[in-house]
Amino acid sequence: MMNPPALSVHDVTMEFEAHVRVLQHVNLDVPQGQTLVLIGESGSGKTTLLRMFNGLNHPTSGEIHLHGESIRIKDPIELRRHVGYVQQDGGLLPHWTVEENVSLVPVLLGWNPEKRTSRVHELLDMVNLDPTRYRTRYPIELSGGQRQRVAVARALAADPSIVLLDEPFGALDSITRRNLQRQFLELKRQLQKTLVMVTHDVDEAIRLGDRIAVLKDGRLLQIGSPAELLNAPAHDYVAQLLGHRSRGDHP
Amino acid sequence: MSRCVRMRPLGLAVGLAFALLIPWTPPASSEEGRLVVGSKNFMENKLLAEIFAQLIEARTDLSVKRQLGLAGTQVCFEALRTGAIDLYPEYTGTGLVSILRQPPTGDSRTALTTVRSEFLRRWDLWWLNPLGFENAYALAVPRDRLPADPPRTLSDLAAFSASLTAGFGYEFIQRPDGLPGLKTRYGLTFQRVQAMQQSLKYQAAAAGEIDVLDVYTTDGRLFVYDFVVLEDDQRFFPPYEAAGLIRGATLKRYPEVGSVLGLLSNAFDARIMRQLNYRLQEGGESVEVVARDALSALNLLASENSPSQPASKDNELFAYLWSHGSTLMQQTIEHLFLAGLALGLGILLAVPLGLLLERRQTVAEPVIRGIGLTQTIPSIALLAFMIPVFGIGVLPAVIALWIYALFPIVRNTYSGLRDAAPDAVESARALGMTEWQILSWVRLPLAAPIIMAGIRTAGVITVGTTTLAAFIGAGGLGVPIVSGLQMADTTMILSGALPAAALALVIDGTLGMIERGIRPRGLHARPDRT
Repeated sequence: MMNPPALSVHDVTMEFEAHVRVLQHVNLDVPQGQTLVLIGESGSGKTTLLRMFNGLNHPTSGEIHLHGESIRIKDPIELRRHVGYVQQDGGLLPHWTVEENVSLVPVLLGWNPEKRTSRVHELLDMVNLDPTRYRTRYPIELSGGQRQRVAVARALAADPSIVLLDEPFGALDSITRRNLQRQFLELKRQLQKTLVMVTHDVDEAIRLGDRIAVLKDGRLLQIGSPAELLNAPAHDYVAQLLGHRSRGDHP
Repeated sequence: MSRCVRMRPLGLAVGLAFALLIPWTPPASSEEGRLVVGSKNFMENKLLAEIFAQLIEARTDLSVKRQLGLAGTQVCFEALRTGAIDLYPEYTGTGLVSILRQPPTGDSRTALTTVRSEFLRRWDLWWLNPLGFENAYALAVPRDRLPADPPRTLSDLAAFSASLTAGFGYEFIQRPDGLPGLKTRYGLTFQRVQAMQQSLKYQAAAAGEIDVLDVYTTDGRLFVYDFVVLEDDQRFFPPYEAAGLIRGATLKRYPEVGSVLGLLSNAFDARIMRQLNYRLQEGGESVEVVARDALSALNLLASENSPSQPASKDNELFAYLWSHGSTLMQQTIEHLFLAGLALGLGILLAVPLGLLLERRQTVAEPVIRGIGLTQTIPSIALLAFMIPVFGIGVLPAVIALWIYALFPIVRNTYSGLRDAAPDAVESARALGMTEWQILSWVRLPLAAPIIMAGIRTAGVITVGTTTLAAFIGAGGLGVPIVSGLQMADTTMILSGALPAAALALVIDGTLGMIERGIRPRGLHARPDRT
């Protein structure tokens, strides 16, 4: 492979104080345009790891490279403006309209107003929200699913090469979640972005991930495609986690 | 880097607050050619101070500033000692017992000698020649409450006091030369002792609710009420000879003041003082008029034919408000000025402090608790603490009010910022806002209504507390309240209390409107959209 991976993690460890290890010697790569899903229980370290990719957390030791460059040497503010981010509850600014929320990063990057407006229209169309109806609404005036779609549009606004999603559909009812997952797959095909998503929902991981990384107690147990994990679990825990699926409802 | 940006406006605000405070160093006592005369907050003392002031104005080239109605001995004495005032009328017994903390003595000559030498030695304060009367404590009994063979002395009273209900002033019950000592000396016991405000005791005694009360021997009401004043046959009460108490520095600078005030040596006796006090207390005449008449009667004023018409005592509230409209307006403006200045300075310190504390969570709680402690200091005590440092008048009042205003603003700024939409803050940071942008675009707008609610609370507290500023001579709507309390004049009290309450409501309403105005849209759904 000539191109460096979009994201690579080398021997990353993070500890609090001396003994509390949140992550231990994690290594993984995410090739350009692929979707990696980090899965694990609460406390497995999956969110901690995700937040390292845009400099919200810092490893105690080890290196993280974005397109071949260590993020240690990047200005974290600059870095975050070029990495998309979606969190569980959307995290929309409640006192800003949909348009203002989606324009957040373009404003930080100093785009001119015309360019911003046309980008907002384009993005809202992309996430299936009618711009003329929704542009001027406040987050409180949207449903949970609509808010999450705005959050996705906001993350994509400045066309980042990589987007981080922290349980983006976790707080939604199952029908809405299914719906958004379908739209997400559609978008993914369309945009060919590198995506890293955290979830604790095995179904979601299998549906959306090109590859899945299973974390437990700060260790990376296995990384591979859904099929690899289902067919050849490297660890009892992985088998157990995916177990009901291999035995169960998907023949 | 982003930290520097964030700190700059904070430093600016704190710097500004100090820049505003620094020029107000404690007041140098008297400007050239001007004397400050103070008094305590009761009528006779105010009258004597006014007599001093008018005499000095008439007989010297000096001008006089009046600081009448300061809250009690402690405040007056501290103001004199620190040079905030030059002169005030004091009583030898008070000097001996309350200031020097010496045991009461029954001999007026010894008392005067002691206070003179001690005040000179310790503070270079001079007792001028006594004015000729004593305003001592005495016990009085309404005549109709007495047996056929009425007691003449306190020893007589002790024989049957156990069946009597007493109404005594708070100070009298506390002071060693008051009730505690009196009980020991005469073996007095009462069925019940009721603590009462000075001016209410007379009415209570006349109404038969109490049988014995403490009085001041020069009280004007002794003219109207038929009370028997009992003789202190064992000479328990220390002498309370009235005299001017003046700073040595002032006498040295303006020796003529000493000579002029010397004209008042032995000029009054208890009977004259009762008469003068009666005109103030019951006649509702002003201190200025009664003082001028007293000096005229002594032929110490070039008589300028001053018809002293007794001010009719308006009991009609609206008539009173109407006739005192311009004074009340003046006091309302003073009140607003004091409260506004204190609140403004409070905002200037408390908002940046709240911002700073939110960044330093570990020290935040202790600091906020510490500021909260200031709320527990009784306002009048806080005002009294200010005097040794800042003197009397506007400056210490504003500082005390400012301290009171801090807590609600700091607390609300801190918790408003801390609790402002944590998810939104998190995503703003994750998408690359600087800390400064997060503060100014996200946290401050979201916390603004809560900060404003703190400012609103502080505003209402400040307007209310400002009524106490009158105790240290800072003016405001407290002036009629304090005077009204002394004179048991409900109309006068209301003339200060009602506008103060109205002001508090107006401030609350105005700040409430601002609070609603700055509440960001989007925090509540618009009904047509959901």
